[in-house]
Amino acid sequence: MHERGFCMSLSTEPGRASSEFQENLEILMEIPLLAGLSLEVFKVLAYLCRREIFRPGEVIFRQNEPDENAYFILSGTAVLLREDGEDHEVRKIHESEFLGGLSLLGDVKRLFTLRAETPVTCLMLSQERFRKTLERAPEMIGRLLENLVKGIQTWEEGFLNKHAMKCQDCLSGSGVSLV
Amino acid sequence: MKKRSQTIEASPAQPEGAGAAGDDLLITRRPLSYWVKTSNLKLQAILLAVILVTVAVRVFPLEMQKKIINKAIGMKEMDLLFLYCGLYLAAVLTASGLKYVINVLQTYIGQQALARLRKELYAHILTLPLSFFRQTSSGMVVSSLVTEVVTVSEFVGQAVAVPVTNVLTLAAFAGYMFYLNPLLAGLSIVIYPLVMLVVPKLQEKSNRANKRRVDVTRSISSKIGETISGIHEVHGNGSYRIENRKYGEFVDQLFKVRVIWNLYRFGVKVLNNLFQGIGPFILFIVGGYLAIQGRFDLGALVAFLSAYEKLYDPWREVMDFYQVYQDAGVSYKRLMEYFDVEPEHVMEPPAGREPYAFQGNIEVKDLSFTVTGGIQLLKGISLELKPGEHMALVGFSGSGKSTLAQCVAQLYAYTGGSVAIDGQEVAGLSKRDMARNVGIVAQAPYIFDGTIRENLLYSCESLLAENEKPVEGENIPTLDEMIEAIQQVGLFVDVLRFGLNAVLECRGNEELVAKLIRVRRNFQENFGEDLAGDVEFFDEKRYLHFSPLAANLLFGSPNRGDLAVNRLPDNPAFMEFLDEAQLKRPLLSLGRELAQQSLDILGGLPPEDLFFEQSPLAADELETYRRLLDRLEDTPLHALEPDDAALLLRLALRFTPGVHKMVAFPPMLEGLLLEGRAFFRERFAADHPGAVTFYRMDEYIHTQTILDNILFGRAKTDHPKTQERINQSIIQLLIEEDLLERIVETGMSFRVGTKGDRLSGGQRQKLAIARVFLKRPPILILDEATSALDNASQKRIQTLLETRWKGKSTVIAVVHRLDTIKGYDRVGVMKAGKIVEMGSYEELIARKGILYELVHGARKGV
Repeated sequence: MHERGFCMSLSTEPGRASSEFQENLEILMEIPLLAGLSLEVFKVLAYLCRREIFRPGEVIFRQNEPDENAYFILSGTAVLLREDGEDHEVRKIHESEFLGGLSLLGDVKRLFTLRAETPVTCLMLSQERFRKTLERAPEMIGRLLENLVKGIQTWEEGFLNKHAMKCQDCLSGSGVSLV
Repeated sequence: MKKRSQTIEASPAQPEGAGAAGDDLLITRRPLSYWVKTSNLKLQAILLAVILVTVAVRVFPLEMQKKIINKAIGMKEMDLLFLYCGLYLAAVLTASGLKYVINVLQTYIGQQALARLRKELYAHILTLPLSFFRQTSSGMVVSSLVTEVVTVSEFVGQAVAVPVTNVLTLAAFAGYMFYLNPLLAGLSIVIYPLVMLVVPKLQEKSNRANKRRVDVTRSISSKIGETISGIHEVHGNGSYRIENRKYGEFVDQLFKVRVIWNLYRFGVKVLNNLFQGIGPFILFIVGGYLAIQGRFDLGALVAFLSAYEKLYDPWREVMDFYQVYQDAGVSYKRLMEYFDVEPEHVMEPPAGREPYAFQGNIEVKDLSFTVTGGIQLLKGISLELKPGEHMALVGFSGSGKSTLAQCVAQLYAYTGGSVAIDGQEVAGLSKRDMARNVGIVAQAPYIFDGTIRENLLYSCESLLAENEKPVEGENIPTLDEMIEAIQQVGLFVDVLRFGLNAVLECRGNEELVAKLIRVRRNFQENFGEDLAGDVEFFDEKRYLHFSPLAANLLFGSPNRGDLAVNRLPDNPAFMEFLDEAQLKRPLLSLGRELAQQSLDILGGLPPEDLFFEQSPLAADELETYRRLLDRLEDTPLHALEPDDAALLLRLALRFTPGVHKMVAFPPMLEGLLLEGRAFFRERFAADHPGAVTFYRMDEYIHTQTILDNILFGRAKTDHPKTQERINQSIIQLLIEEDLLERIVETGMSFRVGTKGDRLSGGQRQKLAIARVFLKRPPILILDEATSALDNASQKRIQTLLETRWKGKSTVIAVVHRLDTIKGYDRVGVMKAGKIVEMGSYEELIARKGILYELVHGARKGV
């Protein structure tokens, strides 16, 4: 299994429609958390993930419930909510966003609810399938962890730059990258 | 473990009734001869009569022999020769015929006794206390009931016939020999006393070896039973070598013991034969001398020798019988010793008393339970529950909660103190009293191989008397009550699904079928649009992306085996059709692409369902197709070997675009296939009428399930959400057509498999709970009965207890999860065999004692 340091979209033969598998593959290879995994691993993951359609108003995942899936929004818009008696909108989630990568690595209980606003098609990958695939290539885990670290770092940098300086409460609550 | 000792101190009532009606003696105390005495005596009498005739018939040929030689041959009388020979033949034939009859009778008698023994022993084993089964492996019980008892049956069959026949025969022959010549007779008999001295000594050694054989066989059975029940650990630890070695040691032991045992047995036989051989030697010497001297006529000598030889068979049979008797005796004794334990409680109430019907008042006073080794599991427990009160028992593992519940339920015989239900001491109650009034749900429920209905009614049917027939509404619950029960525990949808997955026979269901067709129409009309995203409906003009390619071509259900999806490539008529429809080439191309893509992705993966669910190739086909692709490197598609072509076609025919995502489905092929479908219907169906039942809106497909028939399509995914949506719609329609009950009834005939293994753990527990609820006992004991259920189901059962059972039945629930105990009237906290706190939930929390700690976690960090 060789490492890939860059992303490349697979060109399909001219004139042939691309299969769902091909599409999944191209999508997965662009996800930052999965950057650098080998082609073989990507192929199996692309094969194992599944697509699901959610109707407007349907809940994709719910706060406080365990969820072992990661999601990539293929089309549509969903809204991310935090409930504490009433729903507070966190933000809207659009096409080509990737959510829930942590579920692939460990057991999490969701801290938010994700609800579809328009009809939403998601690409979903479950923890079980992800783990079983990575069992075949354990050396990839190191790469994954690196990506995770980078992801948290980038997230917190963005948060500090954009919001934290404006609000003392937020600032004193920041520091997830120091975990 | 062997004999129970009377250690109940304070029980006021003596166990009522010593044993079952009929034989007073416990089955394990009966001697071997009991089974002979109580065997079919009429048959034994007939057997005896036949034997006596046989004996006479055996002696007869001897006389004939003598007469033939002396009178017929000696006097040269042809007529007499024929006469005597004829009589001889007749006697021999009769003797053979009678011998057959004897064997049949013996076998019949023996098997009858065996059947009785098996039934009565099993009945006894079922009543043995739980402590017995703790120390016994089921393998041992199996081998006892199946193998070890067989020697007893052999014995019982032979017990009368063999000794009597053969002793009488011996006596008859011996008498005849003495009649001929006392001296010679005396000489030949002299051997036997010698034999009778030596043989028993050898036999004793053989018996000892036999005892050891029984013990070792028993150990092996136990070992096997034990290992199989722990096989998950063997796999988990990879301890195959250790287990094989352990087992091998036993097998070697058994090997040695059997060899030694047989050495002794054959030794005994050989000794007999030896002595048999010496006899004629003596006779020839002495008899010959006498004949030469003229003091003994030749005919008599021949007859004498003949008689002597004839002694061999009966003597051998007596010796064999002796061994069978010894072997059976050893086996029997060993067998009975093992099960010689008295049941702790009586089965039935004493004659004249009906089983009690209790209110449900439970009074426990100073209860204690000590097991062997002096370990006290319960120490002086006292509590009282009024009828209808609910109590939760909580505590650490090993605190005795289960034990307390089981003592109240009469599953264990407590050793001190008292437990009384409505004032009656539990130790003195019969099992029938307890069964009528107490319902127990154990942590690991007993679900047996039968239908859901049978399992559901198990508790209620157990209450019926010996000859009572179950009648719905009178002594067993009605269908409505059963449905209510499964609804309450949350099994309704599961049973409905089983019903929907049933396949209906063509005959006898016309009315139901007509209704289902209506449901199908309504389904499409009312829900067709809504569920278009979840279900792909069968439409003649559309290609089905969620059905295999072959199904798309046939567009119907094959009625012949050779048209099943995996058999099509072998069907020459179908191959011809493909050629004519010009589909062969495109399909070969599709097959190749499928093979290439699948191998590329799955080539190195292990054969797990997870990986191969969405693959057109099965894990064990990978190699075949890999080799195929190698061969195909240089071969164009039209020049393929027929076998290779068949492989590719097989793959292509399985292709389901909605599932097999690794290959895109070109629209052009779709068009071709739709044309092929129409072509198939025209040509193939015309040539082979009745081969396929085409999908038609108003025709029921008998080879498919009810659900598939209603859907008249395929669900696109098996996600629980999709299933939910479809189920809800279908339920609504079934209610409208008044079919819901009927389908649920069909679902109740679902067979659950050995130990209920076709059900999930949660389903089994729900079934066990429903079973007890149906019985409506005044006392309900739940021993961690909801441990395998998810949160929602647990809450449901809890709510059910609070709303329907509070005030009606007394409940003792051993609870592991502390978030469910708020609704109980009382909570008892146990620690190390004692109740350390008792009160309502609020009281105990306010007290900030042990319950508080358990609920909120220890104060000083974990």
